Amino acid sequence: MKTQFKIALMLILTSLIMLLFFGGSIYYFLYNYSFADFYKRLKTRATIAAQYRFDGDNINTESFKLLREKHLEKLDEEKELVIAINADTTLSDAAKLTNLPISFINNVFKKGLDNLQKEETFYTGIKYHDTDRDYLVIVSAKNNYAFDHLYYMRNIILAAILLVFAIVSYLSLYFSKHIFDPIKNITDKVKEIGSESMHLRIAERYDDNEINRLISTFNDLLNRLETAFEVQKNFIGNASHEFATPLTAIMGEAEVMLMKERSPEEYKQSLKSILEQSDRLTEITQTLLFLAETGYRNKGIETQLLRTDELVWEAKAIIDKLNPNNKIQIDISLLPENPKKLKIYGNKSLLLIAITNILTNASKYSNNKPVNISIASSAENVVIIVTDKGIGIPPSELPFIFDPFFRASNTQTFEGYGIGLPLCRNIIKIHKGQLSLFSTVDVGTTVEIKIPHANIL
Amino acid sequence: MQKRILIPTDFNVESLNTMKRALERVDDGDVEVILFYSEYLSDSITEMLFYNPEKRLNELITPVFEEALTILVNRYEKLCLSVNIELFHYNNGMAFKNYVEAKSIDLVFIPKNYTLSPLKNGFDPIPVMKEANIPLQEVSWENNSEEVYEDSLGYLFI
Repeated sequence: MKTQFKIALMLILTSLIMLLFFGGSIYYFLYNYSFADFYKRLKTRATIAAQYRFDGDNINTESFKLLREKHLEKLDEEKELVIAINADTTLSDAAKLTNLPISFINNVFKKGLDNLQKEETFYTGIKYHDTDRDYLVIVSAKNNYAFDHLYYMRNIILAAILLVFAIVSYLSLYFSKHIFDPIKNITDKVKEIGSESMHLRIAERYDDNEINRLISTFNDLLNRLETAFEVQKNFIGNASHEFATPLTAIMGEAEVMLMKERSPEEYKQSLKSILEQSDRLTEITQTLLFLAETGYRNKGIETQLLRTDELVWEAKAIIDKLNPNNKIQIDISLLPENPKKLKIYGNKSLLLIAITNILTNASKYSNNKPVNISIASSAENVVIIVTDKGIGIPPSELPFIFDPFFRASNTQTFEGYGIGLPLCRNIIKIHKGQLSLFSTVDVGTTVEIKIPHANIL
Repeated sequence: MQKRILIPTDFNVESLNTMKRALERVDDGDVEVILFYSEYLSDSITEMLFYNPEKRLNELITPVFEEALTILVNRYEKLCLSVNIELFHYNNGMAFKNYVEAKSIDLVFIPKNYTLSPLKNGFDPIPVMKEANIPLQEVSWENNSEEVYEDSLGYLFI
């Protein structure tokens, strides 16, 4: 069952129950009230009848009767019965005589007053004690007037309930149908979006209601998906390109060499260049493997307690071996006084890869200009900041630098494959840290790494 | 003995370099740093009615600034650094002098070649401080980079 019908049904049922309760209670209380009133009237008549019959002398009796006929309306089929209770006429005789249930007669005799309804006739009886015996005075009448009212009332209530029920049903169905219109629109729109039309978005409206928030959440999700899609597409393109270049070089070199006999020197030269290209291939493959490992395996890296400053010194030592011309300076001016605040839990080899990668980049893209690496510790994180005076990154390309194989437009003259930074970010991410990058073209780049403390204070 | 140091700030990380240099000059002892931000009070009565300096400070302090401050606190742990950030509202030298005396501030440091860039409603307190005719310690640092990117911790390491 569709949600809209569920909602409509709920509304209809609730209002129906309320209507029935409302109409029912009106009818019930009015019913009770009109009878109470009628019994009161019967009682008055019984009292008067008893009085003129037994109390008054003859003249008074007549005037009583007149008074009564004059002022008290004659009720429908009004009858009065007076039964004397004595040794000859017992209560059960009286019941037989009046054709009324014995319990009623009993009640009248015991309590002095009782009411009874038998079909459409109402009975009120009182007990009257005259000088030597007891009398039962029973007045009966039909309450046609009240019954007519009640029937009329009941019909009105039933008609009203039916009418309101119809209106409520219609409105509930209508609203429940239209309340889901925006959601239906979203569904229709989302159905249109496929892998080929990832650029489509749901039109956002400018009021801040739940539907709109749903739409913008959807759109955000789509944005992320689209980016992921693009990255995937680019990744394959770029990766094949990166692999193809050294392969082509190797094949070309080999083919040229095989064209004719060469001198041993030439062979040596050519093999050397082939070896270089294969090295490059190995490097790419290895980094890619790391990237995959760090990207997909979030758990299960082995961590140990590390001192950040030691890591940085080690990283610098590695770079000194690879590139003796580097001018990396380690800035310890803001090193915390408590060395425990430099400790982090991490995987040493992974973190070394990340730091050396960032330092290599800093040196490479600044042509070995001075690079500053500072270590500090804030309340929650160990902070490593690498500043270079290199070529920078164009602002429009900053959002993509963490995409695998993306290379900024101003890096043509530098060797590289564009997998270093994504790898670094993955490594920092699995250490629950943050890697941020700030850059200005031709001025320099600042990389900021934050890794949470080991908290062993 | 506890030393009280007053340092103007504009809630950019770079302005904390004044504090960094100032603390380099203090040898030991407890130090209380009063970071000092000057801004005009609002003219609106309704705004003043609900004015709350703490709330205002929370608006002004950025997460980066806060992190940079904790870096400095960690760096100078032996000074038992306590940092208070206070607002100042009077563009008047005498008022500043009174403030310094009332707070019994021992040293006032100002940056030499860094211009504070106050936010909206704020004003540069340096001229006021100079007007007050009290000893000011000037610190300077090289800011030769023309980098202009958003406020980051990197500015603390110039």
